[in-house]
Amino acid sequence: MRIGRLIRLALEGAHSLWDIRLYALLMMAGLIIGIAAVTVIYEMGEGVRMRVQGLMENMGFGADAFYIRSGGGVLGFRRGGSRKLSLTLEDAADLRRIDGVAMVVPHQSISQKDISHGSKHTSTRILATTPEYSTARRWPVQNGRFIDQKDLEARSRVAVLGTTTAAELFPGQSPLGQTIRIANVPFIVIGVLSSKGASPRGHDRDDRIMMPLSTAQRRITGEDKLSGMRVNLTRDADKGLVVAEAQELLRSRHRLAPDAPDDFMIITPEALLEMITRQSRAMVFMLTVISGVSLLVAGIVIMNIMLVTVSERAREIGVRRALGARKRDIMTQFLIEAVVVALAGGACGLALGLVLARAATWGLDLPTALSVKGFVVSFIFSAGVGLFFGLLPAKRAASLPPLETLR
Amino acid sequence: MIRIRGLKKTYQRGEVETPVLMGIDLDVSLGEMTAIMGPSGSGKSTMLHILGLLERADHGEYRLDGELVTELSDDALADLRNQKIGFVFQAFHLLPRATALKNVQLPFTYAADYPADADERARQALAAVGLEHRLHHRPGEMSGGECQRVAIARALVTGPELILADEPTGNLDRRSSLEVMAILQRLNREGKTVVVITHDQAVGGMCRRRVNLIYGRIDSDQPVEEPVDAAGMLAQLPAPEETGP
Repeated sequence: MRIGRLIRLALEGAHSLWDIRLYALLMMAGLIIGIAAVTVIYEMGEGVRMRVQGLMENMGFGADAFYIRSGGGVLGFRRGGSRKLSLTLEDAADLRRIDGVAMVVPHQSISQKDISHGSKHTSTRILATTPEYSTARRWPVQNGRFIDQKDLEARSRVAVLGTTTAAELFPGQSPLGQTIRIANVPFIVIGVLSSKGASPRGHDRDDRIMMPLSTAQRRITGEDKLSGMRVNLTRDADKGLVVAEAQELLRSRHRLAPDAPDDFMIITPEALLEMITRQSRAMVFMLTVISGVSLLVAGIVIMNIMLVTVSERAREIGVRRALGARKRDIMTQFLIEAVVVALAGGACGLALGLVLARAATWGLDLPTALSVKGFVVSFIFSAGVGLFFGLLPAKRAASLPPLETLR
Repeated sequence: MIRIRGLKKTYQRGEVETPVLMGIDLDVSLGEMTAIMGPSGSGKSTMLHILGLLERADHGEYRLDGELVTELSDDALADLRNQKIGFVFQAFHLLPRATALKNVQLPFTYAADYPADADERARQALAAVGLEHRLHHRPGEMSGGECQRVAIARALVTGPELILADEPTGNLDRRSSLEVMAILQRLNREGKTVVVITHDQAVGGMCRRRVNLIYGRIDSDQPVEEPVDAAGMLAQLPAPEETGP
């Protein structure tokens, strides 16, 4: 079929659609819902993927590190397994001897304590750790210095602030050398960390205070055990092997019976990814089924209404045939109409879907992505639905005998 | 122009077979104006649809312009309808939401080559039926007579040799009927071959030849001695009352 003829048929189709615009809106309704559902799924899938990435970045995970946390249980589930602190500095020292381990950075995570400077108060997350932390997380200070080995040995009351915390306690002035009180214990500020900004989840990574682990153990928590530790690997290390060895070593150090569960948890980027995938799989599956069904329903609605319009437009079809339209011309015009309606429905559905995805992911604390892929996917889906479900009505229209329709 | 031999057509509805045309021989020469007449059920509508290539006969031969159309594909028939035949229907069959101009241009949509001057040709066709002042009116905004004249303009626009009119005055009052017949007579004088299907003796009397169909056969086929001049009759009618805009 020549392109000029195709364009003329498309114009005829557009005119006809305007004539039956109420029907056209009904046809669109199904697809709006269907494509909106697909868009929501897609956007949430992207959101989950970005959240995983964000979590890993947040924990400072590269492919070359993993993390061990006190307390057993299943990754991703807060309940089940003890949250009792189980890891010790001796564990950390032994882990350092495993082949392939470059660094072990132990830490205590201290829940919100009152922090003050003069009349200014704030409350934030405190991480007590060792000098290697800055290197292992690739997180240097922007002013002053990080905790060093002497601080650790002397249990010095020194603190390094995140930029947010620094700005809160010392608006417009340098915190270096100033004294702050943490749970009423005075600390001297020795450095300010460089800014990492918000995590992809929207968590402010610069709202924090770091102090030497030994100081926290003595003065703040009174607890020797660790919340967790980060293990950095050498470049040529086999991560699977190191993880297995670490697990075995910790089990034997903690004298766990062979059938007892771990009283610690090894978190690798892979395990994290698997957990999140597992959690989101059910949701994605459900939404996929819903969107599949709604696309099917949308298609059937389109087909149904088109069949109605075909019988209503029998006379118009007859006239066109009498004036020289070939069967193929009629079929092409109706297919174009179906695809145009479907694309319009798809576009509206995409817009609605993006809004819904935004709303849904906001509730779930997921980031959202506005992706070109989403546009392409819904374009293909709508055009496909229009073509597939428009085919039968278009064929029906083309095969109407002109004679009967002109009586 | 038209040469038909031994044409038969039977309709089948369920188990019941209804023979409609039972062996028709008919020749229509270029430039004739023929009325095909007969009571309802005589097969005259079927005759027109077969003549207009909207339907195929079961048996027999049909040559249009020397071409044996009984052998042609559906697509070829569609192209012939577009190029060689102009239809005028009893119920006008205009697209209700398109303007007169758009309606008249519609055949070009299906033409092998869309003419560059489609718009101009549609305007000329409308002028030829005296509707140059109605270009942008929709069928609902025009009288029945005007609608039928738009339909005639649409039939003319591709320049076909043959005009097929199916009860063209069936839905019209006397004045509009005369107007329509006057146009058809003028087109015939200008060289078009016109075939009119009608059961109206007055319409038959305005053609130059009358073919009577009864029960699917040609009962009589005679020239009309002195065809009535529709334009003359129209001139004798009292002036129409002015009824609003």
